[in-house]
Amino acid sequence: MKESSQRLEAVLMEGLQHNDEQSLAALMKLYYADLYNYASRFTKDSGLIKDCIQEVFISLWQRRETAGTILSPKYYFIRAIKNKVLKSLHKLNRKKVSDELQEEYDFFHEFSIERVIIEKQISEEKADKLRKTLTLLSKRQKEIIYLKYYQYLDHGQIAELMNISRQSVYNLLHEAIFKLRSLWHTEFVTEY
Amino acid sequence: MKEFRLFDISDFVMDEDFIRWVSKREKSDNDFWKNWLRQHPDKHMVVAEARRILESIGTEQASVSDHELQSEVDRLLHTIQEQKELPSITPHRTSINKWWYAVAATVMLALAATAVFVLHNGRNAAKKYSYDLIAPSKGLIENVNTSEKTVTVKLPDGSTVNIAPHSRIGYTNNFDNGETRDIYLSGEAFFNVTKNPARPFRVFANEIVTKVLGTSFRVRSFEKDTVIQVTVRTGKVSVYSQTAAGTDIKEIAQPYHLGGIILTPNQEVVYQKEKEKFQKVLLDNPLRIRPEPPEQTMLYEDAPIEKVFREVADNYGISIVYDNDILKKCTVTADLRKEPFYNQLVLVCKAIGASYEIIDGQVVIQSNGCE
Repeated sequence: MKESSQRLEAVLMEGLQHNDEQSLAALMKLYYADLYNYASRFTKDSGLIKDCIQEVFISLWQRRETAGTILSPKYYFIRAIKNKVLKSLHKLNRKKVSDELQEEYDFFHEFSIERVIIEKQISEEKADKLRKTLTLLSKRQKEIIYLKYYQYLDHGQIAELMNISRQSVYNLLHEAIFKLRSLWHTEFVTEY
Repeated sequence: MKEFRLFDISDFVMDEDFIRWVSKREKSDNDFWKNWLRQHPDKHMVVAEARRILESIGTEQASVSDHELQSEVDRLLHTIQEQKELPSITPHRTSINKWWYAVAATVMLALAATAVFVLHNGRNAAKKYSYDLIAPSKGLIENVNTSEKTVTVKLPDGSTVNIAPHSRIGYTNNFDNGETRDIYLSGEAFFNVTKNPARPFRVFANEIVTKVLGTSFRVRSFEKDTVIQVTVRTGKVSVYSQTAAGTDIKEIAQPYHLGGIILTPNQEVVYQKEKEKFQKVLLDNPLRIRPEPPEQTMLYEDAPIEKVFREVADNYGISIVYDNDILKKCTVTADLRKEPFYNQLVLVCKAIGASYEIIDGQVVIQSNGCE
C-alpha cells in the first residue's frame, strides 16, 4: 500500500516535469484533503485556505522543471501550505512578516474523544480525566501529535517544519505520551 | 526487522508500523500482529495500553466534498491555462527577470546620481554610502534576489548568506584575500559567518557598518526605509555609523577588535537614518542559543537566585543585571522548562517579588530583596 502510493507520487512528479497538467491535477486530488486539514489548524477561513492551496500548486507548476529536486512531495506540500497560510494571515493582521524569528502562531487542534467514549465504553469520570489531560498538552505538543499521527511525517520532517531540533520533537512527544500513559495505566491496573 | 519484543509502550506509540495498524486496520497488519501477540503473550498488556493511547488522540478531520475538490482542481487548471498565454511564465522566466532587473537598476542608478547632483550638499549626504553608487565604482560581484523567496548563497570563504526577496549583496574579487572580508548590502540578509578572527567580516549597509569575527546575524537596510536594523542570532557583532564624525574606517578593519556598538545574541540595534542615532533593544521572541537542556535543569526548588538568573541568561545569551547583595537571600521554586524567555522572567520575578525592565538590550532587575 505504502509502496504503491509512493510509486504513484513518483509517476506524477515525473509527469509534472514533462509539462503534464493532468499530473498536477492528480497531485492536487491526492493531497487536497491532507493540506486542507492541516491548513485548518491555523485558520477557520475556508476561502483563504482554498486560495492558499491554489497558490501552492501554481508555484509548483511554475517550478515544474526543478520538481525533480523535491524528495518528499508530501513534505514539500505540507511545508509550502504552512508558509503560505501563515504569510496570508500575517498580511491580514497587517503585521510585518519578519523572518524565521517569527514563530508565534495559533494551532487549533480539538481532540474528539466521543468516538473513544462510545467504542471503548469508558466511564464519564474517565472521559473527564482524558479531556483534562488533553487540554494540558501544549500547542507545540498538539502540533507534533497532529503531524505525526495524522500526516504521518517522520521526526526529521517535523523538526524541520517546526524549526526545532529532532531531540525536542522526541522529548515533547515522549512527554505527551507519558501524560496519556499515566491516565490509562491506572485503568489497566484496576481492570486486571 | 524491528525488535518489537524489546519495545515499551512509548516505543510502540511512536512506531510507524504500529501506528498504521491501529489507525488503518489493514488485513496484512492485523495478521502480523495477531501472530506476533500469540508468540509474545507477555506483551498483551503493553500493546493494549499503547493502542488505547493512540485511540485517545483522535481528532475531528475537516472534510472536503468530492464536488468541492473537483471545482478546485478545475480552478487550478484554468489558472494555468490563462498563465500560459502570458509571456512571463515561460521556461525562460528567470533570465527575462534578470534582464529586466538590470535595466531597472540602471534607471534607478541614473535617478540616484541625478539626485546627488541636484541636492549636492543637502541632507542627501548619506547617499554617498548608497549601494547603487558603490556597486559600479568597486566593480562588485553581485548576487541579486529578484524572486519572492529567500535565496541562499555561499561566499568564497565558506560563509553563507540568506538573501531576502528584493535584496542584493556584492563583494569585490579580492574578498577572500584582503585584510577584511567586505560585503555590500542593499535590502535584507541573514549572514552565517565562518570564524576567522584574523580577517574581520564587514557588512556595509548604507550608513552603517557591521563587523564580526564569526557568528550569525541579520541586517535589514532597504533604501526606502527610515531605519536600518541589525539582529544577532549567535556570537557577537559590532555596528558602526559611517556618517558620524570620528569613525575611522581603519579601526573597523582591525582584527581581533570589536568597537562601536556591541551586539550579543537576541539583541537588535535600530539605526534611525534621520537622527543618525542607534538604539539597542531585545527581540520580542528571543531564541535559545544553546540546545534544549536536559530534563532536570530549569526545574527549580529553593534554588539560589544567582543560579537561576545565570542559567536563564546563558540559555539565551542575554545579560541579566541585578544587585547580588540585595538578592542574595532570594530563592526560587519554579518550573521554567517549557516557558519562553519573557515568561521565565515574569515567573522568577513573581517568585522573589521583583520587577524587570529592558534597558539598552539588557534585563535589569529591580527588587528590595528577600527576607
